[in-house]
Amino acid sequence: MQKRPKPKDRAFISDEPVRNACLDGKEGFIIKVRLTSYRALPLSCIEDISLSVDGRSISKDDMTFILNGERHALSDLAKLSHVWWWILDYAELFVASVGGLASGNHEIEGMLVTVEPYITAGRFSFFNSSKKQLAVAEVVS
Amino acid sequence: MSVSDNFKIGVSFHSFAHEYLSFIWSFDEMMEKAAQLGGGIEIVGPSHHRSFPFVTPEFERTFKSAVDRFGLTPVSYGSYADPFMLPDRNLSPDELYDYTVPQIEGAAKLGFEVVRLQHFASVIAERLVPLAEKLKIKMGYELHVPLMIESARTQELLKQIETIESEYLGVIPDAGIFARSVSSRHVQEGRDMGVPENIIKAALDLWSKSVLIDEAIEKITAMGGDKRAITWIGVIWDTFGYSNPDDLKSIMKYVKHFHGKFFHIVDGDEPDLRYEELVHALMRYDYRGWVVSEYEGNTDDSFAIVQAHQDMIKRYMASFKG
Repeated sequence: MQKRPKPKDRAFISDEPVRNACLDGKEGFIIKVRLTSYRALPLSCIEDISLSVDGRSISKDDMTFILNGERHALSDLAKLSHVWWWILDYAELFVASVGGLASGNHEIEGMLVTVEPYITAGRFSFFNSSKKQLAVAEVVS
Repeated sequence: MSVSDNFKIGVSFHSFAHEYLSFIWSFDEMMEKAAQLGGGIEIVGPSHHRSFPFVTPEFERTFKSAVDRFGLTPVSYGSYADPFMLPDRNLSPDELYDYTVPQIEGAAKLGFEVVRLQHFASVIAERLVPLAEKLKIKMGYELHVPLMIESARTQELLKQIETIESEYLGVIPDAGIFARSVSSRHVQEGRDMGVPENIIKAALDLWSKSVLIDEAIEKITAMGGDKRAITWIGVIWDTFGYSNPDDLKSIMKYVKHFHGKFFHIVDGDEPDLRYEELVHALMRYDYRGWVVSEYEGNTDDSFAIVQAHQDMIKRYMASFKG
């Protein structure tokens, strides 16, 4: 009998630890996120992404969406109908924040709003919210 | 009356969504499991291979290798029209055509017998038929709720199929159109989304009276239902239909493939869908294609529930033959 692996959670906010990081010289932290559908979607199907950390809402201007190494401002996603978020790929949300996140656990709450572009009955928005307690990964140097 | 049990049973990989999306099974492992579930397979384009709407040579190679290793039959490829993929407008017919052609070509390359079309593709059907005929791959409009057999939209599609008159264009009924009730899980999902109890009760009442979606949305909006309530109603009206299995008689000559949608198996039966009548209708009207189990739910063991679904179908087949 094969060992059955532990399932990876399918919620928007993944279970992966938060990492402090530096992007284009800006300090901040990275949260790994998943697409909540059952199928790949072009980024133009993302209507909204919102995030709060320890109850503090993050400004959209402070977030960068990173998919397979490519960086996108949230305000650009609507235009990206040729960039596909493959269903098994994790994406990252970089949050600009001086000093990053302090070590220990943090409450990360996020909402992904998508248009599932195929629904027979028409255009509908899907709200996928999730909340996780995530630790900050220890930096390996 | 002569009776056939010549329809074959297979599995849609959509059934394995939990294991696949939770990284419990790889694509190759799903192929292996399918060999024990009838051997006929359906895959969902944007779920099961990268580079959708295109099929890469790599996927073609690894797919065909697995088909050979496990002795599978590629039955159906789920294509998508995705008309709402742009935020500001719907795709034009030319855009739909450019989006659909590589999917049909990809499905043919992979050796599928049938490609599922969404009804949105009807505006380009006349342009697609010559391609399907050349590639020898049958196209079928999925009759998924709200497209029930008697729906005006379905009747339009049937008229078009009759006019075009190609054996490469037909329909793929989804068992969800033959519902007797809305499943308890879908009701709970409404609660989880924050839809108030009075709205849920009113919506279920409208559903049981076969009210069309536009009228339901209007009534629920008038009651103060917000965007979430409307989205939930969209899901319900997009999931459960009230066609009569006996009405398959009138469309059987156009049926290219069949989606054995199911949500639960309780005591060996699907509590909300009319499977006994459905299996009997498929036999009575001599359906010769495949029925693929298409589980939609969140079980921890998709393999077991698909097996239970297929056992149910076999039991009803046996009961019909008496």
